[in-house]
Amino acid sequence: MVKKTVAKVLSFRYKILALILVLLAGGLVVLPKYQKQKGIKSEQLLSNAISPERYISTDQLADKIINQDPSFILIDVRDEDSYNNYSLPNALNIPLQNLLDQDFEGYLNQNQFDVIFYSNDNFYADQAWVLCDRLGYKNLRVLNGGINKWFTTIINPTEPTETMSTEEYKLYSTRKAASMFFGVMYPDQMTAEDSNLNVPVPKKVITVKKKKKRAAEGGC
Amino acid sequence: MGPLIPNGIISMEWDSIIAIFIGICFGFVLESSGFSSSRKLAGVFYGYDFAVLKVFFTAAAVSVIGIYYMDYLGYLDVSQLYVHPTYLWGAIVGGIIMGVGFVAGGFCPGTSLCAVAIGKLDAWIYVLGIMVGVFIFSELYSFFEPIYDGDFLGNITLMDSFNWNPYWIIFGFSIIAVVAFAVSDMVRKRVKKIFY
Repeated sequence: MVKKTVAKVLSFRYKILALILVLLAGGLVVLPKYQKQKGIKSEQLLSNAISPERYISTDQLADKIINQDPSFILIDVRDEDSYNNYSLPNALNIPLQNLLDQDFEGYLNQNQFDVIFYSNDNFYADQAWVLCDRLGYKNLRVLNGGINKWFTTIINPTEPTETMSTEEYKLYSTRKAASMFFGVMYPDQMTAEDSNLNVPVPKKVITVKKKKKRAAEGGC
Repeated sequence: MGPLIPNGIISMEWDSIIAIFIGICFGFVLESSGFSSSRKLAGVFYGYDFAVLKVFFTAAAVSVIGIYYMDYLGYLDVSQLYVHPTYLWGAIVGGIIMGVGFVAGGFCPGTSLCAVAIGKLDAWIYVLGIMVGVFIFSELYSFFEPIYDGDFLGNITLMDSFNWNPYWIIFGFSIIAVVAFAVSDMVRKRVKKIFY
């Protein structure tokens, strides 16, 4: 008896299969569409954003530059005028509105260097950081305080007052030495032969290997 | 998440190994379903056996439905999949040559190699013919180049060129598939049975 019913059902097997196929295809049409989110998950973005590791301090950066650390690229996200006016040595200028251009993707989306964003403050640099981090780019940093803090701490460090601790004095002397590296002259250091110190630093050419990104290939 | 290899979930070095594995499976299934017989393949054109049409139509429908469900659920990104580039006239001329060869020889390139493996003489001749064709093509490449490289339209799909909704195309495609199965069954019943 059971065999008979099974046989009866199975005699319609092709019709049933065809129906399943059409129903599944129809399901795709009927399913509610939603906007797909690109890039990393929002939880991941949030945890990256609140992590203090994404900032680099001006002192750390000065140390890296002075020691000729080859492991990072500086990216100036201000507009071109500000960049031409003053920028950090060997920085690349990628204005914020051009950040996601195809030409610059090779610099931002790679695993070779750390990318350090900066702007006048860290406001625009943070925006650049969020945009790139959301796309899943790796090794992104923001210069804490930007050019302004760079100026007040490295280029023109405030002299500690007499009541301050020894650490403050040590920090001041380090910063002062750093500022001399970046071409600042102090009256007590000035001598006659130093007067041609203001030679422009030769621009280092940063070559970035494009991340291996191979399109899928196929064929019959 | 997917596709697995471009997104680095499976490293790129594995792709040849996976390709060989899939190729062996494909060849095995082709042979075990009788597709290494030129009579079965030519049957589509004479109307006594529609297995080829059914198999490939089903494969296309099932995979496209599966891919779009996976895309919908976020397991696979359709935009990252490989789309074969379109060289318009090259595709048309090549399609005609391939079609003629298919009817005349009873093999498509894949099944001919399958049949070579089980020692069919006509397949050996067929593959020899392919080799001769490849040789002639490469010798006269400079002459064929304008057709081969010309009319490049990029990696386009119907959705790009006509701005159609993929879901409706899939639905229409499945309906066409089902109708084609029904019609081919009707045709097969009318055509004289051939045993081979």
